[in-house]
Amino acid sequence: MTNRCTLQLTVLLCLTGAALSMNYGTLRFQQSSSNSACQKLLWQLITSPQHCLDDRMDFQIPREVEQPQQVRKEEAMVVMHEMLQQIFSIFRRGFSNAGWNETIVENLLEELDGQMDRLETALEEITKEGKFPWENRTVLRLKTYYLGIFQYLKGKSYSRCAWTVVQAEILRNFSFLNRLIGALQD
Amino acid sequence: VTRVGGTELKPPQNVEVDIIDDTFTLRWARSREPAGNVTVSADYQVPGIADNWTKLPGCQHVTSATCDFSSLKMSVYDEIKLRIRAEEGNNTSPWRELDTFIPFQQARIGPPKVHLEAEDKALAINISPPGAEDSIMWQLERPHFAYSVIIWRNASGAQTWNETHRSRFPRIKIHKLVPETTYCVRVKARLLLQRNPAEFSPVHCVTTTVENELPAPENIQVILENDTYVLKWDYTQDNVTFEAQWLKSYLKRTSGSESEKWAQVQGCERAPVARCAPPQDMFQKGVYFRVRASRGNSSSPWSEEEKFDAGRRVVIPPPIVALKPLSSHSLRVSIGLQDQTELQHYPLTYEVSFWENASNTERKTFVEQRADFTVSSLKPRTVYCAIAQALLKDEPRSQRSHHSNTACATTEAGGAPGALLAAGLTVLLALLVLCAATALGKLVHYVFFPPGKPPATIDEYFPEEPMKNLLLSTSVERTEECFIVENVDTVSAKEMNHLDEDHKTYTSQASQDSGNYSIEDESGESGGSHASEELGQRGAG
Repeated sequence: MTNRCTLQLTVLLCLTGAALSMNYGTLRFQQSSSNSACQKLLWQLITSPQHCLDDRMDFQIPREVEQPQQVRKEEAMVVMHEMLQQIFSIFRRGFSNAGWNETIVENLLEELDGQMDRLETALEEITKEGKFPWENRTVLRLKTYYLGIFQYLKGKSYSRCAWTVVQAEILRNFSFLNRLIGALQD
Repeated sequence: VTRVGGTELKPPQNVEVDIIDDTFTLRWARSREPAGNVTVSADYQVPGIADNWTKLPGCQHVTSATCDFSSLKMSVYDEIKLRIRAEEGNNTSPWRELDTFIPFQQARIGPPKVHLEAEDKALAINISPPGAEDSIMWQLERPHFAYSVIIWRNASGAQTWNETHRSRFPRIKIHKLVPETTYCVRVKARLLLQRNPAEFSPVHCVTTTVENELPAPENIQVILENDTYVLKWDYTQDNVTFEAQWLKSYLKRTSGSESEKWAQVQGCERAPVARCAPPQDMFQKGVYFRVRASRGNSSSPWSEEEKFDAGRRVVIPPPIVALKPLSSHSLRVSIGLQDQTELQHYPLTYEVSFWENASNTERKTFVEQRADFTVSSLKPRTVYCAIAQALLKDEPRSQRSHHSNTACATTEAGGAPGALLAAGLTVLLALLVLCAATALGKLVHYVFFPPGKPPATIDEYFPEEPMKNLLLSTSVERTEECFIVENVDTVSAKEMNHLDEDHKTYTSQASQDSGNYSIEDESGESGGSHASEELGQRGAG
């Protein structure tokens, strides 16, 4: 009798798991294809990086973003959202910068907006479930990191080379985002 | 409680840190001692960076019960520790250390700035983020605040109606209001990833205008008609033209006084009917639509904004279909995808339409989870075709790919003769297999279980029977007498059905085999026993 119950329970759990993982599967698929699009757009945007070698800067991205260990999907979502938000702000700031292809920047902003929108919906879900990771320290460390980037740009008077250096740094950000997307599973 | 004479001074009680936007305040309970020049000073420390205590600017020798240390230059994301003490002349109380805190997490969100614009049945609210434009606390947050609006009707008497609206962006429009009515709002900001408490803005009130001659269109929808996106809406009156505008979603995230850059929808500048078909590339990413009606010089207010987000739809690439004939009555359907990598995370279902090419019969539709399956019960020598769509079962609706290529194949020539031939061939093959198996079996039997008889030629060499017997067999009687007495417990007997069933060889194993055997003989059998001994030795050797 118990055997049959266990079997039914197992089947139910498996189906539930399958249903849940399909939701995150869609999110993972959408985020990762959008992320690839962002990387391709950014590659098109970066011009003449060679003569800007002197302006290079180590912005010191938080270790746990650069080399993520086992991270829960809720934490991954929060970290990803913060990164996307700040990257969006950076490109908004640079939009009117002379020499940038405005169509490419606009496409990039659209992709980032879409990713944030999807994450925000998912974040609302986990808030309702009571699983929201408030006071996440990585998010605070990321804010220090992005503040450093904004201060660097201001210090260099938003020069072309400063923007090129920042673009290269954001390209690295996208590869870290790819890894975080991998954590979006049950 | 302090004592005049200064023997024991206590540090201030009920110390609190209050941060709102960029204003940092330290508060404590005022000492009840009436006389005395008791002052309060504070220090700060940034535990992650330095271990020394530094004087907190703005909080040195303070006589009142609060001090403002907003001028402190530090990162709002770093931990900070404060300590506070009371002083009277040369006398100081011990330091009271406060709990470590992170200013960004501790700060309250101040009131946002609100600007109202009234229409006849709607209210447009433009919100500016809290804090100053050069705010350090919200430097990275300004474009990303979300807002809550409480709206109520300022009717004399009890407030009978109020609503709370949550807005993700700094521009919000509240519809379905009553003309010529005064409404009041209060707005507060919030952060998406943090839990900071927030302050409401002051109350702002405005009166809606007289009802407009032309009402705003309603129920804006984006629907899919034959693979084309179409904009549709409802309108009650006739004799009007419609104008549609669109806005890219990402522009909603920008705050500031710049108004949203809505653009005309191509083909919808002066639509005579309540629908229009915009260029399809408009639907690739997130977009907002709004519509208004016009008659002569007057126009209606804008409708509610409808968001269409193509990004929410998973773009499944069309599959590739191949058909292969299996027999005269069946075909094999194989479905593949061009780019497997992104879609490996979840299963797809395929909807396959199958039909007979020549005739006008109905299409059969299969829904299959498998990418390879067989369609049977078909007619021989007929051309069949298939086309497929990949589906992703997702709430609330099924996402589909575009149609695949059309693949066609002919079933094999079949019918009665063919069947007979096939049957005949099968029988022949079966017979062949059976023969081979039998032959193999015989071979195996020969190798592992060879016939037990010695070759006939041996008779040439050993014609005499006794000798033959000696070589080949030993009488039972003789062997029975062959006992080695020395070690009784190590005698083991081995039977081997080697040559003859009568032939038994006894092998004995003794730990100390000196080779001398003492056998108790009975007279007349010594000769035999010798022979046995020989055999026994040979066996042991």
